[in-house]
Amino acid sequence: MLELIRPGIQIDFVGKRRIWMGLSVVAILGTFLLLLTKGLNYGIDFTGGAEVQLHVPEKWDIGKLRDELEKGGMKGLKVQQIGLPVASQYLIKAQGEEKSLNLVAKQVEGILGKSLKTTEFEIQRVDVVGPAAGSSLRMSGFLSMFYALVCILIYVTIRFDYRYSPGAVVALFHDTMLTLGIFILTQKQFDLQILAALLALIGYSNNDTIIVYDRVRETIHQHPELSIEKAVNRAINETLGRTLLTSLSTFITVFALWLLGGKVIEDFAFTLMVGILVGTYSSIFIASSMVIIIAHYHENQTKKLKSKPSKKKRVVRPEPKFQ
Amino acid sequence: MSRSWWGKFLFLALMVILSLGYIYPTISNLDPEKSKFPFKQKMNLGLDLQGGLYLVLGVDFDKVYRDVVERQSSSLKDRLKEKGITVSDVKPLREGVPADDPRITVNFNAAQRQDFYQILKKEYWTLRLAGESPGHFELGLSHDYRNEVREKTLNQSIEVIRNRIDEFGVSEPSIVSQGTDRVVVELPGVKEIDRAKDLIGRTAKLEFKMVDDQSMTSAQLSTLITEIEKDQKLSFKEGQKFSDYVRKLNELARSKIPENHEIAFERSRVGSGSEGVRIPYLLHSKVDVTGDDLQDATVQLDPENRNPNVSFTLNPRGAAQFERLTGENIGHRLAIVLDNLIHSAPVIQSRIGGGRGQITLGRGDSESMMKEAKDLAIVLRAGALPAQLEFLEQRVVGPSLGQDSIHKGAMASLIGSLVVFIFVAIYYQVSGLIAVFSLLLNVLFVLASLVGLEATLTLPGIAGIALTVGIAVDSNVVIYERIREELRLGKRPSGAVEAGFQKAFRTILDANVTNAFAAIVLLLYGTGPIKGFAVTLLIGIVTTVFTAVFVCRLIFDLYLKRLEDRGAQTLSI
Repeated sequence: MLELIRPGIQIDFVGKRRIWMGLSVVAILGTFLLLLTKGLNYGIDFTGGAEVQLHVPEKWDIGKLRDELEKGGMKGLKVQQIGLPVASQYLIKAQGEEKSLNLVAKQVEGILGKSLKTTEFEIQRVDVVGPAAGSSLRMSGFLSMFYALVCILIYVTIRFDYRYSPGAVVALFHDTMLTLGIFILTQKQFDLQILAALLALIGYSNNDTIIVYDRVRETIHQHPELSIEKAVNRAINETLGRTLLTSLSTFITVFALWLLGGKVIEDFAFTLMVGILVGTYSSIFIASSMVIIIAHYHENQTKKLKSKPSKKKRVVRPEPKFQ
Repeated sequence: MSRSWWGKFLFLALMVILSLGYIYPTISNLDPEKSKFPFKQKMNLGLDLQGGLYLVLGVDFDKVYRDVVERQSSSLKDRLKEKGITVSDVKPLREGVPADDPRITVNFNAAQRQDFYQILKKEYWTLRLAGESPGHFELGLSHDYRNEVREKTLNQSIEVIRNRIDEFGVSEPSIVSQGTDRVVVELPGVKEIDRAKDLIGRTAKLEFKMVDDQSMTSAQLSTLITEIEKDQKLSFKEGQKFSDYVRKLNELARSKIPENHEIAFERSRVGSGSEGVRIPYLLHSKVDVTGDDLQDATVQLDPENRNPNVSFTLNPRGAAQFERLTGENIGHRLAIVLDNLIHSAPVIQSRIGGGRGQITLGRGDSESMMKEAKDLAIVLRAGALPAQLEFLEQRVVGPSLGQDSIHKGAMASLIGSLVVFIFVAIYYQVSGLIAVFSLLLNVLFVLASLVGLEATLTLPGIAGIALTVGIAVDSNVVIYERIREELRLGKRPSGAVEAGFQKAFRTILDANVTNAFAAIVLLLYGTGPIKGFAVTLLIGIVTTVFTAVFVCRLIFDLYLKRLEDRGAQTLSI
């Protein structure tokens, strides 16, 4: 029997939860700071840009054209073939504003001019295009994410306990933010593909969190004598093998996509890779710690409530008179 | 094996055969015309994967400006009257000015110039003074207002087109503005080019106008039209835009019909010729109720002749206006005008409350009429375009990801999955192989469902499938780790498998139901790429629970039976 994690392992995960939580809070604040200062490097899907229609020699295929343009320093490109392959006509979408249209065309011309004679290619048209995901679409995207979080919150509350639900949502928020933070740091283009990757992460991270929670719930049920810290820590340890195994196998798939998938899906795979790492970390360290924190808070509240009504009871006791 | 096992096995076998049937046309690139294969539907690929139709539409701003100027001119007329400024004439001017810059011409008492000018300056930022002579102003739209109108019209057009295409069922269309007066629409995998063009380009302006039978009889009107046609050598030829003809006719007839009236035609179903007879009507130009007040439009079958028609409901505001209009005009005819063509002009018998009505369609066989009715209902629901659109370009484009990237991506996914399969098989041995088998079935079911539901596969959709495989592996891992735990407690293989599946089931269900909630929300509120992702994710969730719990268990039972037969006591897990 192959075993990644020795059964009966007891690593103290929750003991240092303040450190982990602190680290994550710092990281999230850092992301906010990055969002405000550097901001997301929105791709052409969100910003709109310039559309250049051109003709290149037939021996150049779409991959070659994209490579040449990217080598020449054009970022965030979308290259599309139009018409029949023999026509060898392409649409290139690049970032650029109305004023800088000529700059984009010149840039394309300059890059192609290096390896082709001026008679061999032709820029047929340059135009501005609006964003594929305009402000309304962007808004609906973020709103749908928000609604999804609310629904998860409600479901977890019903199915588990209200003590679990904030943790599940915090973990999701945490994962999205951290991934976004790393995305800003690397200054990669944020386009619709990346949005899709982030959505996939929400699903993945959510799945991860629920599975750990399920075990926490079960452990508390079976061993009511354990303190909440001990129960949570035990649950994390018991599911550690499966958490790592799943993350590893998913990571392998995404890693293959990143390594072999080609330039177009490289960033998409990169986002997923970061997200899987962050998601695994959060379900071990963050989501479970949240359960403990909320349980403690709940305890304190009940203590307060218990001590308060006892005073009140003495005052508001005249009820029996009615009998 | 037990009878219930065989029953389940038969069910699974049927599912597999059905799924293979669904994906066979896609894999073998079946020619639906020639083959006798029962399933013909192929996988729809998104524009990013397969390319599609690329349309460039130009917005007719001249017409928009003309309409705006007309409205401004009537508002100005009323305002000047209120302010006590004597004007002899306020009217839109069309001749002798640039087509994209229509003017209003105003003749007024020269002594009141200062007052007039003040009103213009203070209240009409939308207008600019384009020319002046004593007692006469020529007004055009101001630069800012023109820009505002232009931007609003463009954005509204995009919004309406998006709504229509969404209802038409093309997923992941891309609709963007190009320059300042064009809209680019990309429709993945659309084959019915003419239908798509009709759906997008149709203005769908619904209006209700009163028919004027008193000023002119229909015979007089017909004579008038024939006269104009003869005198001005105007005629409607096949292939010409009928709307152009009607506009020309109205311009030429303006002096011969009462003011604020117009001529419109009804397509008649009786008569010969492919176009049927066109019946002219004299209408009051004033529009009392429009399609802006439409609440819903649905296709219904006429109980008499089983012809489909489109019935609509107006919102409360529209219904109230409609009720007032019909109440005031009992005995007169009300024309239901769609895109300047009369669809019917029934006589109002009584006051009509509730704001319901019907639009009858042209002629044709029942199938094409049904299609027309469906499309009409869609465009009515999606709302009218704020301007007329013209198709400037239509082309077929290649995938935005590029064939090369798709090949590489597919290759990478395949290699990645293979590595995971090997890993799982080594880690869990025989049980691992069972897991691999159920994973393969899972992917098969997802693909087959996508074909069956006629969903569109895009890159975000592929991300959804990748996530499905990840979560499916996880479900197996959860089950197997549970079984291992039970074995460690000293249970016999059959007991451990039983308990493992049972305990893991709740976990898997909770995780997947939570995910399904997220997916449903994304499906309901998301648009375009988000929707595409949500569809595959949702399908994946269902198939994952099914394969992990049902399929895996089924094979495990077989495996356990064989262990028992051999008298083995250890599970290969």
